[in-house]
Amino acid sequence: MTADDKPADPSVGRVLDDWRNAAYNCFSSGHKFCREVCPVLQVTHDETHSPTAFHANLVAMDKGLLTIEDVAADYVNCTQCGACELRCPNTIFAGDFYRFRTRTVDLVKAMRALAVENDIHQPEWQRWNLQTDELKAEPVLEGVSQERVADWAAELGLPIGGETILFCDCEAAFYRTSQPKAVAKLLLAAGVEFGLMREQWCCGGPAAEMGYVDQARRFAEHNIADWRAVGAKRILVLDPHDYITFTEDYPKYFGDDYDFEIVLVIELIAELIRDGRLTLTVPVERRATYHDPCRLNKRKGIHREPREIMRAIPGLTFEDVDHVTQWGYCSGAGAGLGIEKPELTAAISARRVEQAATLDIDLLVSACVWSERPLSEQAAPHAIEVCDLMELVAHAAGLQPLAGLNVAAAGD
Amino acid sequence: MATVTALDDRVLEGLAEIVGHQYVLTSKTARINRARVPSMFAVHRWEEHVPQVVVLPASAHEVSEIVKLANRERIPVVPRAGGTGLVDGAVPLNRGILVDIKRMDHVGEVDLAERAITVGPGVNMFKLNEMLRPYGVMYPDNPASYTCALVGGRIGTNGWSLLGARFGHVRNLVISFEIVLPTGEIIRVGEGGGIKTRSSSSGYRLKELFMGTQGTLGIVTEATLELVKRPEAEFSAFWLQRSYDTAWKTGGELMRSGYATIAGVMLFDERKVDFVRRDDEAYVPQPDWCEAVCAFALYGNRAEVRPAAKEMMRIAKASGGEYVGDEIAQLDWSARHDRYATPLHGRTPNGQVAPMSWHCEDAGIPYPKVPEIRKRWHAIVDDLVARHPIFDDWGMFSYTNGPYKPWGDMLCEIDVGIWEEHLDDETWGAWVDCKREIARASIEVGGTISAAHGSSRAGEVDLVPLELGGAYDVMKTIKRALDPNNIMNPGKYGLDSAYEDG
Repeated sequence: MTADDKPADPSVGRVLDDWRNAAYNCFSSGHKFCREVCPVLQVTHDETHSPTAFHANLVAMDKGLLTIEDVAADYVNCTQCGACELRCPNTIFAGDFYRFRTRTVDLVKAMRALAVENDIHQPEWQRWNLQTDELKAEPVLEGVSQERVADWAAELGLPIGGETILFCDCEAAFYRTSQPKAVAKLLLAAGVEFGLMREQWCCGGPAAEMGYVDQARRFAEHNIADWRAVGAKRILVLDPHDYITFTEDYPKYFGDDYDFEIVLVIELIAELIRDGRLTLTVPVERRATYHDPCRLNKRKGIHREPREIMRAIPGLTFEDVDHVTQWGYCSGAGAGLGIEKPELTAAISARRVEQAATLDIDLLVSACVWSERPLSEQAAPHAIEVCDLMELVAHAAGLQPLAGLNVAAAGD
Repeated sequence: MATVTALDDRVLEGLAEIVGHQYVLTSKTARINRARVPSMFAVHRWEEHVPQVVVLPASAHEVSEIVKLANRERIPVVPRAGGTGLVDGAVPLNRGILVDIKRMDHVGEVDLAERAITVGPGVNMFKLNEMLRPYGVMYPDNPASYTCALVGGRIGTNGWSLLGARFGHVRNLVISFEIVLPTGEIIRVGEGGGIKTRSSSSGYRLKELFMGTQGTLGIVTEATLELVKRPEAEFSAFWLQRSYDTAWKTGGELMRSGYATIAGVMLFDERKVDFVRRDDEAYVPQPDWCEAVCAFALYGNRAEVRPAAKEMMRIAKASGGEYVGDEIAQLDWSARHDRYATPLHGRTPNGQVAPMSWHCEDAGIPYPKVPEIRKRWHAIVDDLVARHPIFDDWGMFSYTNGPYKPWGDMLCEIDVGIWEEHLDDETWGAWVDCKREIARASIEVGGTISAAHGSSRAGEVDLVPLELGGAYDVMKTIKRALDPNNIMNPGKYGLDSAYEDG
């Protein structure tokens, strides 16, 4: 079995040069500590899609056993949650010594980009990104359009522009509109001044995650041009995926020119509660657990503030599962998995909800709008409701009753 | 012997009828990524080990039907669990059908009355113990690959546990198990006919026979495991020593001390101390005079561990060593699992850092011969490194070996780094020769080629008949009787020879 004789595209050699050392480092370990925390493998049990295989494929490509055509589709099977990197002994036990870190997420992104560069497309990702390019927002539901990107804020009278901008994720802006509304009301109640963009496009992160890097870059350029045009210096981010894009992708695109302060809303809200600028008085008499969004917990190490907020909500019985145990948890929604393989996202979400169900809770609180749709779909049979942490806080602050939830409405 | 031919559509269709089309994997990546394990691997000969097809069955019945089909068609079958073994049990030597059992990960009821749980072979011990924690019990099989090895593979290799001196090894911890024979019959082996019975005088000892076969006698499809009370107390202590001889003597006294809570006694030799000083991030700095380490760990109820720890510390202190306190104990003992994969890099003789694979040559060595084997092994590896700078000697560990009986012999391992990226036929051949010499030395001092991993890899496997003598002929007789067409992991353990004179 050898690869086809046709010469590989120069792009393949470039990626191999970039990743050869990392690939051999994983290959030479080969121990697969990553396997039991990978949310995809927990439902597929297919070693073909393990982080180990993702690295070994490059060794095999280097040896002429595989081509990008052979491997491209395998790299779909990843939510880019980062659990494998945390568990990797190469990072944990020798990383500082050798200034090395296993970066499976970046490897998966590089391989997806290499596939696109070689004109190998996954059909649903191609459709999704074409539509995103056309609509300037992700097609999260029928009727997405640039004209409606700020409809969620219609009743709030928010200004356009200013030093502080609230960036609203596509899923939040068009699908889960109650979430950005809750965020905006909380910020207003605490006296935080902020505005919206003149013309907000998708952050571009999903395109980068799926390998459509040129499109991702174009969207990024548009957005920071808009930020600059309105004099923005500080960007408030209400979604973990955008937070990754603005703190990891954009600095890579723009280098030292990228001088914006990126603020995660959850951290800001925790601070506002801590400082007494937000007061939570409406009790939520429910038994709840918290779902650590992968991009906060595993990618950014943010797990204290959400728990601090959960514990500040009156009436709430909080059944916590520690953030390390949650390395193995995921909704399955990340990095386009739900677009190309919705059945895997559903299975991963179902598993997450089952883990919550063992705690005898009735409320699963997340801090990532992308997780909330798939988790909600799987939660119904368990009599568990899914809600967003910011919406829960807005309820407890008496600002916005939780819609559809069986809790006492604000002011009752 | 089963022949290797291209699998035709009829066979693939047959497999799909058994497990469903989506669980018959024919892609290059699915097959190439199941050609190796962390055992030494001839990267330049990767293609030779790529299976023809991968199947992911979900039940014993499906496994049985796969094996029956393979037996009819004379196609090799290679079982694969975690693929984390340090010998090549899961590496296809003759291609064929790779049966990946990871989907069989069911977990049965936690039986606290009979202290047992029945699980599928695809269950990992770390995940299982995560689930068992609220019940106050655990399954104490604790290899270095604790976070990634699977129960099926542990049975297939007759695995050794770091806590074996206290709780036993896999052969002691698996009460009974179900296995699909090479001809497709499904049987259960244990203590007599009982699923959760701990001891029986009824019949032959078949449970032991079907353990450690490296997949040559069947595929495990379910296992009933021992549940022990979670220890109330753990105590581990590291003692620095000025010479290996002192460490060895101290270790011997501790091993023979008779305390039932001993989970393990461990020795590092000076080459191991040098290696961790040089290349180990988790290493805690030690004084220059330290040439060896003697460590021990105790697990059990507080009322047992506390007084035993006091006495063990008294024995260790009398040796003249220096206790290094909690810091290294917590870091190093708790990091034992992760040591399994620590060597991201080794060094060439001129000090150049290189990505190297870790290869652990383990043997069971009589306690009095441990100092001698240490010298002989290092001389063998030094000779290899002198000729081929892609190898690196990472020193020797020794552990108490026997289940519940931490005396008499030790599991010794010499760790060798290999820069696999640069393996070629010449260096591969030199490595195989080196392994054979390591194994020969182990036999010559009255030991066994392997205490933990198995002895089926190239080099050492040549000496298995020498080690086992007439018992190896019985192995061949059993193999031929149970696997008349040699379809089950053919080529392993030199067992192809069982079919040559019949």
